[in-house]
Amino acid sequence: MATMQIDAALPRTGAAERPVWRVWRAIRSNKKAATGAVILLLFVVWSVIPGQIAHENPLAFAYGRSLGPSATHLLGTTASGQDIFAQLIWGARETLIIAFVSGVLSTLLSMIMGIGAAYLGGWWDHGLNLITDILLVIPTFPLLIVIIAYYPNSSLIPLVGVLVVTGYSYGARQLRAEALSLRSRDFLEAARVRGERRLYIIFVEMIPSMTSLIMAVFLGTASYNVIAAASLQWIGFGDPNSQSWGTMLYWAQTGEALQTGQYLWAIGPGVCIALLSAAFALLNYAFDEIGNPALQRVSRRRSRYAAPWRTRAQRVR
Amino acid sequence: MRYALHRLGFFAVTLWACLTLNFVLPRMMPGNPILDMMAKYKGHVTVQALQAIEVAFGIDTHASLFAQYWQYLGNTFTGNFGISLTQSEPVSQVIAGAVWWTVGLIGVTTVLGFILGTLIGIVGAWRRGGWLDGLLPPVFVVLSSIPFFWIGMLRILAVSKFMPTFPTSGAYAYGATPGLNWPFIADVLQHALLPGLAILITSIGGWILVMRNTMVTVLAEDYVRMARAKGIPGWRIMLDYAARNAMLPNLSGFAMSLGFVLSGAILVEYLFNYQGVGYYLLLGVVNQDYALVQALFLLITVGVLVALLAADVLTAIIDPRTRTGA
Amino acid sequence: MRRLKLIGAVVTAGLLAAACGTSSGGSGSSSGPSGTLTISDESGDTWICQFNPFNPNVSTEAFGPVYEPLVYMDTLKSGKTSPWLATSWAWSNGDKTLTFTIRNGVKWSDGKPFSAADVVFTFNELKKYPALDLNSIWTFLTSVTQKGSDQVVMTFKTAGTADFYFVADQTAIIPEHIWASIKNPATYADVHPVGTGAYTVGSCTAENIKYVANKHYYMPGEPKIETVNYPAFLSNNTANAELADGQAQWGNQFIPNVQTAYVDKLAGNAYWYPPTVNNEIFINLKKPLLDELPVREAMVYAINTQKASSDGEYGYEPPANQTGIVTPTFSSWEDTSLAAKYDYHYDPAKAKQILEAAGFQMGSNGIFETKSGTPLSFSIVNIGDYSDWVLVMQILQQDFKAVGIGLTVQNISSNAYDSDLFTGNYDLIYATEGGGPSPYYEMRQWLLSSNSAPIGKTASSNWERYDNPATDALLDEYPAASSAGQHQIVDELQQVLLSQVPVIPVTESVDWYQYNTKDFSGWPTPSDPYAQPSPALTPDIGWVLLHLKPAS
Repeated sequence: MATMQIDAALPRTGAAERPVWRVWRAIRSNKKAATGAVILLLFVVWSVIPGQIAHENPLAFAYGRSLGPSATHLLGTTASGQDIFAQLIWGARETLIIAFVSGVLSTLLSMIMGIGAAYLGGWWDHGLNLITDILLVIPTFPLLIVIIAYYPNSSLIPLVGVLVVTGYSYGARQLRAEALSLRSRDFLEAARVRGERRLYIIFVEMIPSMTSLIMAVFLGTASYNVIAAASLQWIGFGDPNSQSWGTMLYWAQTGEALQTGQYLWAIGPGVCIALLSAAFALLNYAFDEIGNPALQRVSRRRSRYAAPWRTRAQRVR
Repeated sequence: MRYALHRLGFFAVTLWACLTLNFVLPRMMPGNPILDMMAKYKGHVTVQALQAIEVAFGIDTHASLFAQYWQYLGNTFTGNFGISLTQSEPVSQVIAGAVWWTVGLIGVTTVLGFILGTLIGIVGAWRRGGWLDGLLPPVFVVLSSIPFFWIGMLRILAVSKFMPTFPTSGAYAYGATPGLNWPFIADVLQHALLPGLAILITSIGGWILVMRNTMVTVLAEDYVRMARAKGIPGWRIMLDYAARNAMLPNLSGFAMSLGFVLSGAILVEYLFNYQGVGYYLLLGVVNQDYALVQALFLLITVGVLVALLAADVLTAIIDPRTRTGA
Repeated sequence: MRRLKLIGAVVTAGLLAAACGTSSGGSGSSSGPSGTLTISDESGDTWICQFNPFNPNVSTEAFGPVYEPLVYMDTLKSGKTSPWLATSWAWSNGDKTLTFTIRNGVKWSDGKPFSAADVVFTFNELKKYPALDLNSIWTFLTSVTQKGSDQVVMTFKTAGTADFYFVADQTAIIPEHIWASIKNPATYADVHPVGTGAYTVGSCTAENIKYVANKHYYMPGEPKIETVNYPAFLSNNTANAELADGQAQWGNQFIPNVQTAYVDKLAGNAYWYPPTVNNEIFINLKKPLLDELPVREAMVYAINTQKASSDGEYGYEPPANQTGIVTPTFSSWEDTSLAAKYDYHYDPAKAKQILEAAGFQMGSNGIFETKSGTPLSFSIVNIGDYSDWVLVMQILQQDFKAVGIGLTVQNISSNAYDSDLFTGNYDLIYATEGGGPSPYYEMRQWLLSSNSAPIGKTASSNWERYDNPATDALLDEYPAASSAGQHQIVDELQQVLLSQVPVIPVTESVDWYQYNTKDFSGWPTPSDPYAQPSPALTPDIGWVLLHLKPAS
């Protein structure tokens, strides 16, 4: 089969630097990926040095209320006299933390539940897979709301925790399918014959060869979580004292920014959330193209059951 | 056969897990709904009156957890979901009033989204590299990463600026008397337009991508090449040969999203004040209306399971390969 | 201010045939009621088409326009009374016996005559079913009996003048001929309410309650408006938009930037936000450090109430003061010389001074510490859904930090909040109490020790757990006191608040009220505050409706 030939043609050794190189090549060669990467990088810089970009204190009620844009307040002030530009800049940090931390953690959980199930097989596979399938079927967003609403003090930790627990299943399913198909591949057979230990096989042989899918799982989850977290914060289930774009939208909504003509207050954070989520999605889309050779050139790879799970049936809406 | 049993087993376990989750979650949470009522009366209510209210509304929080669990399971299977504390009427009645609005709005738009998305995906894959294929998928990737509620906010703003009389909230005008007459139906359709469009735009992108990608894979199959070689007209190859087979794996995805119809679109319904299932779920959560939240959550899960089951059956009928147990 | 509240069900009730059996007499006016008034009040929920005035979920839907109390009391005029279903009343036996004379010639909306027996039935129903007794009337009543054909005699355990408000103004009178056969009145749906009021429920859907004029109402020439629509608004935005463009004429809405978003939009649009109670910080007096007076005093100086009002409440809820007297509503009760003597005002330097004088030392992190090194750091509990309060919390946090007091804000769900509030599970908590027709009612809620309970037990009010027999005695003396004596007692209660600081009022809670004078006149205004003007308040909504008329 075509894919196997590709896999076979690539060197199996030196797996450690190969994924990095592949990611880099992917980003450079694909316009969508490049766009996504640039946006992401920009936000990361913002979130590292917000104080250098915006000089006002984002929390201080120090200015006139509902001011229009001016040289001192680039985007004006909120209805309670806070600087909107400063809030926008400082808001990047928490939003990115939510995206990355919940993305990484839920990808890790996906790997444990998915690859673990596939590799261990037997009852382990049945058990882990059952949990994943149940979570896949139970409507996530309602569950998210039910849990988060009851949390006595909505700080970041429960928010991220709930996002991870409810959001890993989709990735786990994908990774399990991929791992199952890898299990019988020659290079893993070879490793087994060589007498390598299980953990060695999983970490050194299996996971590196799944890099692009793992990456796709991470990007997909991060993109989803940016919106899910912002949505929760917007309805008022976040910590209203936190500095993030979702929280800004909550305040813009309660302050009726659009009705009272303070458009920038609502448009700013919305654009930022959309850009961040789109950055992840664009990278993901590009990875899909790179990782799935069928989409690049004609191939005979079958993906009968992989396909339906490649999109999230459950959207945040 | 083994496969069918396996699936049924899965459904049973999932149902049980959901029931239990449903039971455990509200009881882990602080506060209780009676305190909420008491708060409304700013402390004029005595403890005796509270106990009397508890009894009147049938909230017995003093039985043991295990006894409550059994009672809860029993009630659920007999369809007795209790009285909604915030609505002062049976939960089943509340749901009966809400569910059709959700099915109408979200159901119709989900089906429309699937059909449109699939069609665009088919054409996109067929004319690969064409302008449609080059433009639409990336546009929809970006569109579906914009927070839905934010588009909704902007749209409400635009409508209220330029078409101030166009309805942006509710399922129908508050003066209207519900009934099967044209003015009312037109009113309902008008009210459904904005939220419907919002759902369509955010859901269509996913279907386009999935369909396009499976189509591309299928188009590379031998039988498609064979058909081309035989000189069968292009549109027939596209629809009869490729699209039909490419749709198959998407069916279960579609079934799932049909199941999720019942969960409503919480944010859509909240933003547009559309009194469907999602809206009641959100407000039940906020007001700690256990009975209502439990019943709604159960309904949603059952909806998904039934849809999945239907997809399984359908796939088995269309695609004989699955019957052997994949 | 987005406050998600209780919601209603989607029930479609049929049209109520307003069957007014007898059509014996023409009402005084010849023209009859006309016009349609629409109310805009975002409750975040659809209507439950039930009108049981004793079910806390729906009690606001019928009490006032449909069900009526015996007497109307105007909070904004320190409880000025007006006859409603009772024409007169008198106290005797050392203010322990209250005799109402019930109005003659009143009919229920189904045509049956109303009488003193209905009043007696109502009160005894509350005794029989404690779940109905939401104002705990039977904690101070001993009996309610009929005397003669048109008199009702109530006896109180102690002098009852302060409880008059609850029996006379806050209890809806229900018809015996209907309710006597109801087995479980607490959950009775009362879909087609039969009341004595100026309006009946014409139709009710989840989206709208339509009240229609009761053509046989007993007050001559009333009501003057034919139809009142009370739509269910689920979001502030929609409700505000309808008010701004005149589709609704009477509002109970929070409108950010009310001048540009409402007043300037349409001729005749006006608003008035009279304050009636305080929004205050309850201080847990059972916690170490917080039980020390200097700490509490320093907090009062630390808080910039002006800023809490302007930035937190967008300037609509005025700053409060430590006397606890809501001004200007109850200005006549304020002891200005006492307030001047204590002279509490925003003064961070003074706050630090007090803490230093009390032996606290500034720690390295800018937070005061005790000699043993315990930092002066507290947490404050707040309802996360109340966005205006959340802003006030942020301001408090910054204010406290400026004087060296650490403050962590816990914005939590209202369920968790209620439980913390009632059981005393907090350091500080931001809350508001129910008031009444004079400052006494709020103060009694704050200070009466029997309202409180030990930490961990549910306290109905007095959440800070203040306990002082002398104050209790003052509160108990009030009902029997003369008017001058009552003022004297309220002065002494102000002294308690100023000297002990058991609670810290921060802003004053207002009635949200917008009205349009183009199509309707007779609105309550600052110069004629004949009722609390918000349409969400019962029974005041009914009283206001009796004063409104189509503009000529």
